[in-house]
Amino acid sequence: MNIIAERIADFLKDFPPFNNLTIDELRTVALSIRVINLEKHKILFKIDDALHDCFYMVASGAINLSVISDAEETLLNKCIEGDVFGLRPFFAKNNYMMTAKAREESVVYAIPIATFRPFVVQNAEVLNFLLESFANNSTHPSDQNRGKLLSDNVVYSGGQQSEIQYFQSLTYNKAPLKTTPNSIVKDVAQLMTDNLSNSVLVTENNFPIGIVTDTEMRTKIATGRFPLTATIDKIMSSPVITVAENVSLAEAQLLMLKSNISHICVTQDGSEKSEIKGMIAEHDLIVAQASNPGILIKEIKRSQDAKDLKKVRSKLADMIQSSIAKNIPLTHINNITGEINLAIIKRSVELSILELGSPPARFAWLSIGSQGRKEQLLLTDQDSILVFEDVAAEKYREVKDYFLKLAKKTIGNLEKVGYPPCPNGHAANNIQWCKSLTDWTKQYENWMNTPGEVSNEISSIFFDYEIAFGETKIEEAITNVIFTNIKKSKLFFDYLGNDALRKPPPLSFFKKFNLEEDGPNKDKFDIKTRALMPLIDGARLFTMNNNIRGINNTYLRFKQLAMVDPKHSEIYLNCAEAFLILSKFRVLEGLKTDSSGQYINIEEMSKADREILKNALNPIKDLEELIKDSFQLTQFS
Amino acid sequence: MFDWIKNINKEYPEFWKNYVSKFEKKATRFVVISTETTGLNPSKDVILSIGAIAVENNSIVVQDHFEVVLLQYRYLHDNGLSNEFIIESNLPKLGEPEAIQAFIEYIGNAILVGHRIHFDIEMINEALYKMGCSRIKNEALDVEIMYRKLSDITDKQFSIDDLCKAFKITRSDRYASSEDAYTIALLFLKLKSRLNLPI
Repeated sequence: MNIIAERIADFLKDFPPFNNLTIDELRTVALSIRVINLEKHKILFKIDDALHDCFYMVASGAINLSVISDAEETLLNKCIEGDVFGLRPFFAKNNYMMTAKAREESVVYAIPIATFRPFVVQNAEVLNFLLESFANNSTHPSDQNRGKLLSDNVVYSGGQQSEIQYFQSLTYNKAPLKTTPNSIVKDVAQLMTDNLSNSVLVTENNFPIGIVTDTEMRTKIATGRFPLTATIDKIMSSPVITVAENVSLAEAQLLMLKSNISHICVTQDGSEKSEIKGMIAEHDLIVAQASNPGILIKEIKRSQDAKDLKKVRSKLADMIQSSIAKNIPLTHINNITGEINLAIIKRSVELSILELGSPPARFAWLSIGSQGRKEQLLLTDQDSILVFEDVAAEKYREVKDYFLKLAKKTIGNLEKVGYPPCPNGHAANNIQWCKSLTDWTKQYENWMNTPGEVSNEISSIFFDYEIAFGETKIEEAITNVIFTNIKKSKLFFDYLGNDALRKPPPLSFFKKFNLEEDGPNKDKFDIKTRALMPLIDGARLFTMNNNIRGINNTYLRFKQLAMVDPKHSEIYLNCAEAFLILSKFRVLEGLKTDSSGQYINIEEMSKADREILKNALNPIKDLEELIKDSFQLTQFS
Repeated sequence: MFDWIKNINKEYPEFWKNYVSKFEKKATRFVVISTETTGLNPSKDVILSIGAIAVENNSIVVQDHFEVVLLQYRYLHDNGLSNEFIIESNLPKLGEPEAIQAFIEYIGNAILVGHRIHFDIEMINEALYKMGCSRIKNEALDVEIMYRKLSDITDKQFSIDDLCKAFKITRSDRYASSEDAYTIALLFLKLKSRLNLPI
């Protein structure tokens, strides 16, 4: 009789896999447990540590599981009360593949493998539960089913841009040319010629029995070894190499190399005794490779007009969609998409210059807002400004006219590609946002030193910018203006702080989603204004306040802040995570409804997704509190 | 003061000699104890139950656990109290000498940990005295003193509940010496890591 073991057994019985055990078995397990207290940030085990002789269960607190990728710690999963982790010793002999670190002060139960193994062997359900988790490669950090097991057999995908192509699925000819075994060679040759095809499948009951390509025609007919009147089954290659549907690019490539062939037949179950579903030719592989990011950028550089760019942009949309489906981390997708968007903008400016003649002065085309932060995954509006170098007063008009025309053309091009114009007119074709460096310097100084005085229309998006085209020196000059003014301008931060807090709250007092009350998006959730903007604004505010330069991306800003300001690092890291989750929701919605993804239909979401979304909204409150504590907000409210 | 001279030629019980011999080795094990008593006066009151659990390598070893209910029929009878609760409980029950002997055998040379542990030890010493043994030799740590040291507050008392609140530990609503020992063990682990104690 051991009261403490009883108490632990009582806790265990509510969580899988322990819920499959009898109370006596649970007592045995509970007796063997060691209880460990982990201080905040204490590491229980780390990558490459020798395996422990036990696995773990969180009794209270939370444990972060993470892997190191690209020298950056990437959070895989957060274990909360009742979660089991560190199962590797059950299935593998090599060292740990991840790091387990206490996110807050936690108590964990260490359960010896030796005690638990007999129950695994005896109890199929326990075994299945453990195996499932071990095989589960999900890297989704917010998958918060209670009592789930956390896998440590993670295949961490992504990391390098080039890897993305291997996850691409192939598009191939779904209606290949077919013929019967007793057709005459001459007729088949004619059929191929008429259909501009270099191959034909020989079929019986729609099963592939052979294939004839240009090679057979050359080596067996043109050489005179078989007469033109022979039946096709005499010259066909057999058997046909077959694969199942949804083969990946890499797989098809390997198969062709291995069998030294140029065509693969796709059948229903992947064997030659099943129905034909299509044909993959070498050419399809080349086409598929062409939508890898590097090639897309090359294609952009070669584009001659907006129509070409539009084609590339639609390929990019496909790539984003498949990348998200493959669980490639959003940060990587953001990076790649950012680069490609940038290339498109650059090429659009170039095309306009080609049309208008070379510019009369040096200038810089800066992307602002979401593209400036490299967070633009969907076809949302392109905000931009144009800064040109100072010219003599008498030439000013002429120069400005040129650049306005240039901006108008470029934005016209972008519109044709599919980017809608900014509804607020935050674009370089607006006379207000296309001016000389001196004017811009004055503009920024005005915004920062006397915020809210001249106009309420200081938009914080002007502080997220990235050069798309032109002189980098001009971008540097603007950055310098901002950071010299930052030091003396407390008022500016207070203004920004107020601005950030003015966003409507995402959740009501009763923790319900605040939905749109009227308008075309009635009863939908405005994820952009209510959830993403507060995070974006907060990140900008604190990075500028901490004098961090050169990081424009919200996720990286939070990560950097966590390092610079360790006192609040937890808030920042939670925000970084939340930002990714929320962005993902927005992108998915955008791709689904082919919109900007700003409004999410809560009703259509699964209950689990709704919980994930709600949890991701929590850090916003902490961030707002931090803003309230850090700045004097009363001056503007 | 000269007790030890009185006792110098005294013959101790076998288990006690055995216990004393264990102190030739250095202790690596902690035993967290909690006692339930009839009151706060060591010379008049008696122990009703003892719960204990071991801490080794910074973890609580659930299996290494001790619990006993003491049959104090005489005390209860003398004071006109009911012994119902003792009979109802399904915990192991022993008379006082047997219980104390089992406890001494269980703790060995371990470092004792408790909440206001000097009182627990005083109570046990009193029982040992009745059995013709000398005083407990183990080192002892008090979580209340550890907490005072950590928070640099010397003029305040902290009950187990206060400490639980400070470390966000939820206490079981069932009351037993074992449960208390477990709670104190958790407190001890948390305090120990914060104070950077060796071992």
